[in-house]
Amino acid sequence: MIIAIIIVVLVLLFIMGLYNSLVRKKNDVENSFGSIDAMLKKRYDLIPNLVATVKEYMKHEKNLLTEITQLRTEVLKGGLSEDERIDLDNKITKQLSGIMVAVENYPDLKANQNFLQLQAAWNEVEEQLSAARRAFNAAVTSYNNAVETFPSNIMAGMMNYTRKKVFEIPETERQNLSAKDLFNS
Amino acid sequence: MENTKSFREFYDNQLLPDLKILDQQRKKVSRTALLIALLVLLVVVAETKLIPSDGNDWKGFVQIITVVIGFIFISVASQGYRKNFKKQIISKITKFVNNDLVYNPDGSISKPDFVNSNIFKNSCDRFKGEDHICGTIDKTKIEFSEVVAQYKTTSGTGSNRKTTYHTFFKGIFFIADFNKNFSTRTFVLPDFAEKTFGKLGQKMQSMNLGRGELIKLENPEFEKEFVVYGDDQVEARYILSTALMQRILDFKNKWKTKVYLSFVDSKVNIAIEIKKNLFETRLFKSIVDYDLMEENMNYLVLLVEIVNDLNLNTRIWNKD
Repeated sequence: MIIAIIIVVLVLLFIMGLYNSLVRKKNDVENSFGSIDAMLKKRYDLIPNLVATVKEYMKHEKNLLTEITQLRTEVLKGGLSEDERIDLDNKITKQLSGIMVAVENYPDLKANQNFLQLQAAWNEVEEQLSAARRAFNAAVTSYNNAVETFPSNIMAGMMNYTRKKVFEIPETERQNLSAKDLFNS
Repeated sequence: MENTKSFREFYDNQLLPDLKILDQQRKKVSRTALLIALLVLLVVVAETKLIPSDGNDWKGFVQIITVVIGFIFISVASQGYRKNFKKQIISKITKFVNNDLVYNPDGSISKPDFVNSNIFKNSCDRFKGEDHICGTIDKTKIEFSEVVAQYKTTSGTGSNRKTTYHTFFKGIFFIADFNKNFSTRTFVLPDFAEKTFGKLGQKMQSMNLGRGELIKLENPEFEKEFVVYGDDQVEARYILSTALMQRILDFKNKWKTKVYLSFVDSKVNIAIEIKKNLFETRLFKSIVDYDLMEENMNYLVLLVEIVNDLNLNTRIWNKD
């Protein structure tokens, strides 16, 4: 009798452990997605400063500048679906690296103290963003492993937990990285 | 930093004259040392004959004391010579490697700096350092020195109480400004548990207390060599960019020894385990020896190269 009780208690504890660890892993994923969001916001905050600084110099890239300002307003308005959000972010990334490359044509701007500071801040945000994405991917991998391996997959099935997607670094982002290398002087 | 050919030139022009004079001093000191050794031998033999054996270890004890005294005499006699070697030769080689470096034979990394790096969890009960070098390489401030750190254990009670010191780190401790700002702590330590115990070891790692969370990185080769802990999952990855992980791996393979790193207060601390006592001279063999000098130079170059190995002079992240 006592043995039976002990077995039941142990099984219950085991199930509890499985349940808690799954919930914790899911929360880790959400939490780390939040930190990507925070870094993205930081990047949006850079845009007005950047536009203000380069505006006087960049006569031929007026379009680029208005476009990026528009994109920023759109993102900050909110109410977007996740896909729309990612799409807009990719566009912003592309435009930003476009500006940074165009700077090469303006030696005065390249020597401007304000601009140099902004460039450093930009590099920092990009690097933090990439760190946040890697942290997110690590959390998702850990979650996916739990969802797909035995025995936690049985529990996950009952809790309706399914596999999540890892962040794929879009092609534009990779280009963006090489644009950064241009300034590694 | 210069290449081997110019070091040859430097050796011939700058070091050789000093080395020749120092070697004269070495010969004198080594003669004295031999004399002392001979005396000690005589005394020990005399003690064997004169002290009656009465079953106690008393005789052996006296003999050991005699030998120890002999060693102390030799080290006192050779102290001036050792100091001169460091002051004249090592400090010149340091300047050759990089003119901005300052060498202090008796200086050391401070104990608080060593302890605050939090790399070792042992309590640091005895701390000794020498051969301190500091300076600024381009934009990066560095300092390093040899360090021996020990913790103590006591056993027994009352008059039987015995205190023993155990060395938990011997080698070079290196501190440099890191090129990114950060506010949390990150530790990169040699991976014992995972290597030995596999999956179970990973479980053990995640239970490590006091150093924050276990951080699993995506470079499998890096994960095999190191275990990473940190206060913040994102900031740890901000510091350990994919490029830096590869650089740390290459660095570790270059030194072929245990390497510990910690990132604290926007600084990087690196502990490199080295059994050998570096930047020392020798007594019973001529020091007019190119290879000996080149070895010292190579160690210094390796250490200063850390700045390039870890790319610390690239300041594109809002930190000057």
